[in-house]
Amino acid sequence: METLIQDVRYALRMLRKSPGFTFIAVAALALGIASTTAIFSVVDTVLLHPLSYPDATRILSVRESDRGTGDRSSSSPANYIDWQGENHVFSYMAASRGSPVNLTGGDRPERVRGVMTSTDFFPLFGVPAMLGRTLLPDDNQPGSDHVVVLGGGLWKRRFGSDRTLVGRNITLNGEPYTVVGVMPASFNPDDYGELWLPSAWGVPAHPLLPNQDPRSARDRHYLDAWARLKPGVTLQQAREEMTAIAARLEKQYPDSNKDAGVSLIGMQDWQVGDIRPTLLLLLVAVAFVLLIGCANVANLLLARATGRTREVSIRAALGASRLRVIRQLLTESILLALIGGVVGVLLAAWCVPALLAMSPPDIRDFTTIGVNRDVLGFSIMVSVLSGILFGLAPALHASRGNLNEYLKEGERGSTGGHGKTRSVLVVAEVGLSLILLAGSGLLIKSFVRLMEVNPGFDTSRLLVFNVGLPTSSTPAQQDDFYHQVVERLQALPGVQSAGAVSRVPLSGGNSDRGFELPGSSKKYNADIRISTPLYFQTMGIPLLKGRNLSEQDAHSSVLVAVINEELAREVFPGQDPIGKYIVKFETFDGPIQIVGVVGNVRHEDLETAPRPEIYLPFGQAHWPSAYMVVRSKTSDPLALTTAAQNAVASVNKDIPLANLRSMQDMLARSVLRRKFAMLLLSIFAGLAMLLAAIGLYGVMSYAVSQRTHEIGIRMALGAQKEDVLKLVVGQGMRLAGLGVILGLVASVALTRLMSTLLFGVSARDPITFGIVAALLVAVALLANYIPARRATKVDPIVALRYE
Amino acid sequence: MIQLRNLERTYKTGAGVTYVLRRINLDIRDGEFITVMGPSGSGKSTLMSILGMLDDSWAGEYNFLEHEVHKLDRKNRAELNRKYIGFVFQSYHLLDNLTVYENLDVPLSYRNISRGQRASMVAEILDRFQIVGKKDLYPSQLSGGQQQLVGVARAVVGNPKLILADEPTGNLHSSQAKEIMDRFKKLNDAGTTIVQVTHSEVNAAYGHRTIQLFDGWITSDPANPQAKIPAVVTP
Repeated sequence: METLIQDVRYALRMLRKSPGFTFIAVAALALGIASTTAIFSVVDTVLLHPLSYPDATRILSVRESDRGTGDRSSSSPANYIDWQGENHVFSYMAASRGSPVNLTGGDRPERVRGVMTSTDFFPLFGVPAMLGRTLLPDDNQPGSDHVVVLGGGLWKRRFGSDRTLVGRNITLNGEPYTVVGVMPASFNPDDYGELWLPSAWGVPAHPLLPNQDPRSARDRHYLDAWARLKPGVTLQQAREEMTAIAARLEKQYPDSNKDAGVSLIGMQDWQVGDIRPTLLLLLVAVAFVLLIGCANVANLLLARATGRTREVSIRAALGASRLRVIRQLLTESILLALIGGVVGVLLAAWCVPALLAMSPPDIRDFTTIGVNRDVLGFSIMVSVLSGILFGLAPALHASRGNLNEYLKEGERGSTGGHGKTRSVLVVAEVGLSLILLAGSGLLIKSFVRLMEVNPGFDTSRLLVFNVGLPTSSTPAQQDDFYHQVVERLQALPGVQSAGAVSRVPLSGGNSDRGFELPGSSKKYNADIRISTPLYFQTMGIPLLKGRNLSEQDAHSSVLVAVINEELAREVFPGQDPIGKYIVKFETFDGPIQIVGVVGNVRHEDLETAPRPEIYLPFGQAHWPSAYMVVRSKTSDPLALTTAAQNAVASVNKDIPLANLRSMQDMLARSVLRRKFAMLLLSIFAGLAMLLAAIGLYGVMSYAVSQRTHEIGIRMALGAQKEDVLKLVVGQGMRLAGLGVILGLVASVALTRLMSTLLFGVSARDPITFGIVAALLVAVALLANYIPARRATKVDPIVALRYE
Repeated sequence: MIQLRNLERTYKTGAGVTYVLRRINLDIRDGEFITVMGPSGSGKSTLMSILGMLDDSWAGEYNFLEHEVHKLDRKNRAELNRKYIGFVFQSYHLLDNLTVYENLDVPLSYRNISRGQRASMVAEILDRFQIVGKKDLYPSQLSGGQQQLVGVARAVVGNPKLILADEPTGNLHSSQAKEIMDRFKKLNDAGTTIVQVTHSEVNAAYGHRTIQLFDGWITSDPANPQAKIPAVVTP
């Protein structure tokens, strides 16, 4: 212990003695450790931290799956009820569905994210209410279902954390509901709900048929199902049993359950599934940055080791064993790493809020992300390992050899072995930074390609918001309301045109329905949209054939539809679909005539190819809520916000506007995850390149100082400035070139792993690889040029006199 | 071949200016073998550096062949060095990480000579110096005498008109020294002008004329009987 304290004290003195060296080493390490810590703090919370439910790893998301395509979808109530009744592997199963409700009674109405739940929803997650109680089986009975459990967030925001609220009524969709409990703010199992409601049938009703018993519906898929594994049951056992149940149901209900399997996914995987590859990519990237930082410090230490051979040999002569010398040198490097670690963690604590600000919602929603105890432990471990990693080679080098040799060589020392190690380190640095540059180049190109995608409509000057009447209102009341709102919006000064649609592109969510052609039993699928006539014009969706929906259609007994280009191509290849009919679509058994074909839109996001769509007119078909789209005459559609709120209030003052945004904002949100990955990887690649350039500069500066004598001789033999420049730059560029080649080879292998994150570009895109290689070579040239210029200033007389 | 007129070389030091060479007047004819002698610090090596165009910071006049060196810029002086001058150093100054062959090729690589021509020039010099068998060895694998032989070979590989040898045998024992000096004699007989710095009277005897330097002054030059330190020196 005493010798350790002595080593630490001596190490501190050594670091103080060379502040320039200490500063550069600490800076390189701090950058690496800060990047690693910041990304790890996200990974720790999002991927590694168990969800805040008791035994959370046993909670599963249960979804129906198509055995042919592997596509997963929501469950139908009848299937869910059969799964629940027949399985022996789950202690609980529960189902839920989003059920937005209008909350009134305060200063302003608000559309709140409600969730309708089945009986065992709360026991399944195992989280008790913070105030009052959760929902009980008795609440799931007709007549006693007007109770609600509030989320902690809504309770605080809307009700000022009023503890007397439990037992009192609030108004949802114009009806009184009794608040029976308040959940902790962290309770958010489906990433959606702000309040939870029971269902009169024990299973949530279909949103379009709120008053109909859903329990026998097998072909309407709208439920999110959950399950908790019984103690001792493995996921594999559960999968096997559920597969057997699905096979039985398929046999029993061949019409609705053809190819229908069951998919079980751990709840954490389900929640973070999409963001996982991005986070893992970033974690690898920061590990590379840290490795490059370590290589830089190892290079600095090697250069210093040359100057310290005399000290080390004297220590050896005085009786220090090799192990003792290595230990002392390692103490120095670990101390250096720990200082770098402290600065790095401080830097990370400062960076994490900025990181979260630019992160997509699926990361930002984890409010606990930060430099916590786990992250701190990780950073300390990383620092110590880094210290050993970059300190070991120099320590081994310095501790080797014998006293006489060192003392004889005096100040100049021996440099051959160190030079080779240093070169290897620099080649590795260049190679690693090329991999990062290639990765970031591919993500940048993907992003550019994505932004070039035509969404199928004009995203500029569009204001979008959602309104919905209570589910108790009649379809006629709903249609009338939408038409009135559209009319009022249309009449606003500054509005070019306005329309309404059941689901607007990029808003998240979709609804698909089956249909057939007359005289054929072949089943097709299409996404359903219900819109007002001016919707297409307002969005800028082009009419390609036939006619648009009209005001007359709403009141006509002839059912009409407009289809998109994709459906025309898929269902009527080489034919004119105008005048043709579809049957068994939505709630209509009878024929619906196709009157027009419009252009495709990218509904889910820019990267998902357009799917077949069928547009029906409001009046003939109905939807419980509608998106209003308003094309502004000016460049800022949000300037219409107040006028739009007033327009809606003038029709019904109790109807709130939800999700009010500009379409540009919705577009930006839809690409946020890509942008996040692209920006971060580019930052890390830039950092890596900078560190590699500094490493190359260091090695070449050292090489020049070692070659002064040689350069002097060459100049005496007639070498000109250009010759010396070529000599030094050539040496550096050979290292950089080797690094670039190795980096390219590794990139070809590694970028394949990120192919799921790419769009419109191959993981081996030669142009991207060429550009990043050229960029790195250019930076390497610059890093070489400075020491090379210094080499040309060598005075041959001075160099030759230096014997 | 060489005319120096009132050539002076100074160094700035903390205390002021230190004179290394003072009012040097020297004529060297084509084909001469000159020996420069003098105690340490007398300015011998500096004089060699100036003659070899490695040192630019001097004042006075220097005519080399038909060139007025004092009017030339650094680049043109370096050009003269490459074209006409070969160096031999006391500590050989071979490049450690290059073979004998490569060492001989170095000065040629700085002239505008094709690879093929360079190869034949190096082959010719290896042959002439009888070191063909050593062409693939590294300097560390050679004795001191052999290293200096390579040093001389390297100096003459480009067929220089002038060879500047700064204590070429300083690190060699007498038999090796004789071999090197005989080699210089042969080169001089073949027409190459040689200026050598030496402390050895034996080596000096190889030359036609010996110049003595002291404290930066030429104190003796058989071709210039007036050469001596002035009675009162005013910097």
